Amino acid sequence: MAEHAIISVRGVDKVFNSGSDRAVTALQDIDLTIGRGEFISLLGPSGCGKSTLLRVMADLTGPTSGTVTVNGKTPGAARADRDYGMVFQQAGLFEWRNVLRNVELPLQVAGVKKEVHRAKALEMLELVRLSDFAGHYPWQLSGGMQQRVAIARALSADPEILFMDEPLGALDEMNRERLQGELLRIWGDTRTTVVFVTHSISEAVFLSSRVVVMSARPGRVAACIDVDLPHPRTAETRTTPEFFEKVKEVRQALHGAPSEQAAA
Amino acid sequence: MSTVPLSRPGRPALMSRALRLTPVAVTAVLLLGLWQSVVVLFDVPVFIMPSPVMIAEAFQQDFGTIMSASRSTVESVLLGLVLGSLGGVAVALVVSRFPRMSGPVLNTAVLVNCAPIVALAPIFNNWFGVTSMLSKAGVAAVMVFFPVFVNTTRGLLQIAPLHVEIMESLAARPRQVALLLRLPNALPFIFNALKLGTTLAVIGVIVSEYFGGSTEALGVYIAYQAALPRFDYAWAGILVSGALGLAMFGVVTLLERFLMPWHESLHEEES
Ligand SMILES: Nc1ncnc2c1ncn2[C@@H]1O[C@H](COP(=O)(O)OP(=O)(O)OP(=O)(O)O)[C@@H](O)[C@H]1O
Ligand SMILES: [Mg+2]
Repeated sequence: MAEHAIISVRGVDKVFNSGSDRAVTALQDIDLTIGRGEFISLLGPSGCGKSTLLRVMADLTGPTSGTVTVNGKTPGAARADRDYGMVFQQAGLFEWRNVLRNVELPLQVAGVKKEVHRAKALEMLELVRLSDFAGHYPWQLSGGMQQRVAIARALSADPEILFMDEPLGALDEMNRERLQGELLRIWGDTRTTVVFVTHSISEAVFLSSRVVVMSARPGRVAACIDVDLPHPRTAETRTTPEFFEKVKEVRQALHGAPSEQAAA
Repeated sequence: MSTVPLSRPGRPALMSRALRLTPVAVTAVLLLGLWQSVVVLFDVPVFIMPSPVMIAEAFQQDFGTIMSASRSTVESVLLGLVLGSLGGVAVALVVSRFPRMSGPVLNTAVLVNCAPIVALAPIFNNWFGVTSMLSKAGVAAVMVFFPVFVNTTRGLLQIAPLHVEIMESLAARPRQVALLLRLPNALPFIFNALKLGTTLAVIGVIVSEYFGGSTEALGVYIAYQAALPRFDYAWAGILVSGALGLAMFGVVTLLERFLMPWHESLHEEES
């Protein structure tokens, strides 16, 4: 699988409020290697440390112990070099910027020339099929459209890695499945490495080349399951026996994990 | 949340705005009529309350004098407003860079803001000279400074943690966070303070002018006419200063709409 590792996590622990009586071990002894171009899902029950693991890789928080390498550097260096884009559970658009200017934000911060970033942002809007809404403000968009803008924003500076923390969590089932399809298409077009956090077994199976199943308290990697369903994956893919078989396998891994809490 | 077609404030928006203003105009006319009839019916003496018609006549008679007096007052108000706002925003930008310091500084500013700053007028006359425009504008500037400073600081600091994290993930420098996130986030706060500030600036300048200065000033005119006593003329001056405050408020509101087009939604719901 990992022809060429782009992210490697070695023996990572993360303890919040360590030393106090409110200490929480969010991550324990995590080992994970992610290959260039993979679509990885982190799946597990609420509170098992999925977000924390993602944030450690993105250098939004530091590990308590262990080492993380992103694109051959420390996570801090990778962040400074803008090697990754990030999509959060909420779109978090800047309400004072229209759609186009929201997508331009990373390019503007990176000091890219104005003429260049205008063209790039328009291209990204095309990718998420929102070209007609370039001049709209966030309050004029539905939740699903806002999330697509957030995805365009995360991709606008051509990052090699895309971190996504339950980006479709707030959407209804229909929008969710549509966006999953779009996400796979974008992944195919851009060849970005994606690390995707989710609660949903079927979402993880449909999207991923590999599902990392985590267990809670303390957060550990319980299983890694390759998903070799052929591409392009479409609505029909969801109805194939192979798909159901994978869903069953992942579900078993999840329930076999030492945690009573089952994920949706 | 659903998709809303993009709407710019075109003719229909303007018309609905005009329709919304109609009740205000009707109320104003009714109040003026009531005022006029009470004064006439009960034969109220002029030094208590002149009638609107008398005030209008006085205004017409003294139009040239009142206008030239207004001019220097307007200049002082504008100068005070600009100095106070720029100062308030500048100091807020500095203070917000040191979040630990901003709490105590903000509380002190709120305390000072409770003091009647307009009481400083004689002191400013003493500092800058009674005829200097700076002594009037100075009082207005200090009065404007505090609300602008307090509100702007709040706006600069009250940013969504998610927005901060997004800027962090983009490896934005502190200067970029200030310009691209904190400042636009503070704009609604700044405009609320400016609206307050326009009223305060007019009060500051007029009251300072009551304490003397060049006779070509609205405050001096009002005080002088009242001493004569020509109360209908004094009232004409008072109403002009009221109109001045209203006009400034309107200009700030227009500026707000122009600079914050994304707030259209809020404007529509507000009124
Ligand atoms: N900043 C923090 N301070 C203290 N504890 C924290 C902090 N962030 C997370 N935790 C704890 O770490 C554990 C893992 O949290 P995390 O948010 O990574 O879980 P998650 O798998 O993303 O859950 P969910 O699916 O609900 O988002 C939880 O027990 C949580 O309470
Ligand atoms: Mg989470």
